[in-house]
Amino acid sequence: MCAAQSRKRDPIVGTSMPTLEAADKVTGATLYVGDLVVPGMAHAKVLRSPLPHARVVSIDAAEARALPGVVCVLTRDEVAAAGIEPVYGFVYRDAPLVALDKVRYQGDIVAVVVADDLATAEAALELIEVDYDELEPVMDVDAALADGAPLVHDTFSPIAPELRPVEGTNVCHRASIAWGDVEAGFREADRIYEDTFSAPPVQHCALDLHACVAAIEDGAITVWTNCQSPFPLQRELQRIFKMDARVIVPYVGGGFGSKSRDRLECVVTAAAQLAGRPVRLVLTQEETFLTFIRPAYRGTIKTGVKDDGTIVARHVRFTVDVGAYAISGARSANNTLKVATGPYRIPNALVECDAVYTNKPPSAPYRGLPTTQHTMAYETQLDRIARDLGIDPVELRMRNLVVDGDVHITGDLLRSTHAKECLEAAAAGIDWGKPSERPDKPAKLRGKGVSCTIKYTLTPPTRLSENGAEIELREDGLFEVRIGTVNIGQGSDTTMAQIAADGLGVGLDRIRVVHSDTALVPVDSSTTASRSTYHMGNAVLDAAAKLTADVLAVASQLLERDAASLALGPDGVEADDGESISYEELVRRSGGPLTALGECVVGGTYTAPDGTEYPIASTFWSFASAAAEVEVDTDTGEVRVLRMGAASNVGKAVNPDSVRTQLEGGVGMELGPTLFEQLVWDEGGQLLTAALMDYPLPTMETSPLYRPEIIEHPLEGGPFGAKGMGEIGSVITPAAVLNAVYDATGVMFHEVPLLPHKVLAALEGRK
Amino acid sequence: MRPAKTMKIELKVNGKRERREVPPSRTLLELVREDLGLTGTKAYCHSGICGACTVLLDGAAVSSCSLLAAQADGAEVTTIEGLAADGALHPIQQAFIDHFGFQCGYCTPGMVLLTKALLDEVPEPTREDIVRYMGGNICRCTGYAGILASVEAAAKALSTKD
Repeated sequence: MCAAQSRKRDPIVGTSMPTLEAADKVTGATLYVGDLVVPGMAHAKVLRSPLPHARVVSIDAAEARALPGVVCVLTRDEVAAAGIEPVYGFVYRDAPLVALDKVRYQGDIVAVVVADDLATAEAALELIEVDYDELEPVMDVDAALADGAPLVHDTFSPIAPELRPVEGTNVCHRASIAWGDVEAGFREADRIYEDTFSAPPVQHCALDLHACVAAIEDGAITVWTNCQSPFPLQRELQRIFKMDARVIVPYVGGGFGSKSRDRLECVVTAAAQLAGRPVRLVLTQEETFLTFIRPAYRGTIKTGVKDDGTIVARHVRFTVDVGAYAISGARSANNTLKVATGPYRIPNALVECDAVYTNKPPSAPYRGLPTTQHTMAYETQLDRIARDLGIDPVELRMRNLVVDGDVHITGDLLRSTHAKECLEAAAAGIDWGKPSERPDKPAKLRGKGVSCTIKYTLTPPTRLSENGAEIELREDGLFEVRIGTVNIGQGSDTTMAQIAADGLGVGLDRIRVVHSDTALVPVDSSTTASRSTYHMGNAVLDAAAKLTADVLAVASQLLERDAASLALGPDGVEADDGESISYEELVRRSGGPLTALGECVVGGTYTAPDGTEYPIASTFWSFASAAAEVEVDTDTGEVRVLRMGAASNVGKAVNPDSVRTQLEGGVGMELGPTLFEQLVWDEGGQLLTAALMDYPLPTMETSPLYRPEIIEHPLEGGPFGAKGMGEIGSVITPAAVLNAVYDATGVMFHEVPLLPHKVLAALEGRK
Repeated sequence: MRPAKTMKIELKVNGKRERREVPPSRTLLELVREDLGLTGTKAYCHSGICGACTVLLDGAAVSSCSLLAAQADGAEVTTIEGLAADGALHPIQQAFIDHFGFQCGYCTPGMVLLTKALLDEVPEPTREDIVRYMGGNICRCTGYAGILASVEAAAKALSTKD
């Protein structure tokens, strides 16, 4: 333990505080990408395909180019002439900057117009003539998997080594994991249940519209964007344009996965290169629905149990509709193989998935990938099992939930679980076990339901550091913390400042945070998968420890004291005997700022007690539960969520109010897809729910107002014991509501959203 | 290439008189964000549903994306930049900070101004009043409990201040 930590000082980690940027956010001073103006910039609009699947025969943009005020029009011809790489993608390199031979969904990017002002760019779109040769689209997974189905892509181009396409089909990734002997498990079972669940696509509806500004100056690219992965984007820009690139991500107004990977930045950079001046593109809300969506999901789950409710085998088969481009969707499907059987002790399991190309917009993670839909499937089925066996749903879960020391179906040894405590806390939030109050009319029925989940985080297959953090003691005596984490609303600057302050032993007033600018901060893989607090937090803590040692070594020389007698104080380094040197003076006399780089090494393998080596499937596992009380109006089919409870074991809450708000927000957001949100295409592949007018979102009027519980059992290896929790609120929500409706009506729903007409039809069927 | 016809309008924005010539199709949102550079007013749906672009027009909360700039001729407009007086946060703004009424902050200018309109109209709102009124604006991050707490705290702070 370093001397700093031995000094008396109240910890900052674990204290609730407003985010550092809070005052700017309530005064409107915070700048998001769409607010940025770069001198000389022109404005871009995108020409999108009106067809879901077609060959692009010809594009004639001459008239558009001739329109006064138009700077240029970027089509496949200009991309070819520029000699840049025409295709991009993060785990699959399958997305063209602009359409090459084909368009693959209604909304696919065909051309980009750059003009002096937006109105001119919009007018020019109308003047571009595109001749299409229509192809038969495959609008869902069934159509895409049918024999002889049209192929969305003729060839496969996976980048990530774990991806396994099936040649000659639309399956861009087929994978499975097995644990124990699933067939033997089913033979051992007293009862076997099989159900199929599905969920349609939805969109994230982050209010901060996808936007970017690209500029090329002195042979180097600068891109301002609200993408959640600035460093992978930097590498992609450098690969495509063979130029140096800098990516700057200012404050972001939510992403929830819709900005997890770049989608516009490369094409806007190509437009800026062609235009010879900076170009800004801000999408409309309708265009965001054509950019990234949450994929359609279907899963069939077969579970074998003993009469006492013990689960002995589980087989899950699921499909994910990755849409037209598998930019990240294929890997999302792969990752959730690990969690498809739930937070339960399951001795025999088999999980299989197909990630399938269709002619829908590309898919992206949505606050927890298909983990949400897996949870909906296994948790709703579990209530059917509970009813059938006559066991209370909470009790049935208690009998099967994992505890510390259990081994997951990936072979991982589970730590910091406390799944049972999460369930108890969530259930208490709706007074589980007590009957609901009587509704105001007999046609209304009330019921309660719970759900539990397990979630993983992105984990590299080999042992390595995917992110760094730097802390510099500056000339002005302040500690500058440099992090790649994108501040997307989760308050990461504050979390990291708190961790840095406690790591160094100084006050928050001494900390400054610089975020997500590839020229100023060390590399970071992404702000996704609930990974930042653990990974970046550890890197910050590592940097703080290294910088502390360096500062004390310098102070030891300057003060002529043994380093062991020194510690970092509020304004400078202090010795046991009262001697001190201010930070400003220390930097001045040591010849300049002191900087330390920290890292967080994860991945690789671990050795089980029996000597078996397992790859670590997830650096940490997150656990949470939700509980819902609903009222179903059997006259109208309307489902209202009256109350909710939620709880997650977060290891350690660095900023507890911030953690609580994120958990609450995840639950609240997911009530939309549970109750009413869905994207619908007609048979011709046209998106019908394209605008907010046809796509309602949760409001204060439709949301239960409650506060979730934080459970803290420190995770060994986490910064101050913390682990990730940013997405888990979403994951636990649909199943709790479905189970409450099941309890209220006796009808088990196998799909969301619970639209009134579907509820009515199901209730009709019950009679 | 566009019809050159413009309209002359005069209005007060955050207490400052503005005389502008605008095309008839210019929205109040465009006027505020692009002509006046007041980017605290945000845009998302451009159809008057989400409330991110809320401003006060003669004290009433309106979606600036769905109003023409010409409709604000002669009116007094307050944007989020006009709420804090002399660098001190308005009690509503302070309440949103204290009660975690936001995360990403994108809906916050609209939420704060909607709260202002509510509390000007109904100084001591019931919870039902708040839920009905604030139901007009969308927040994607918070789940609304923090916003409710912020509005309740702001109402209290303003009533004890008077």
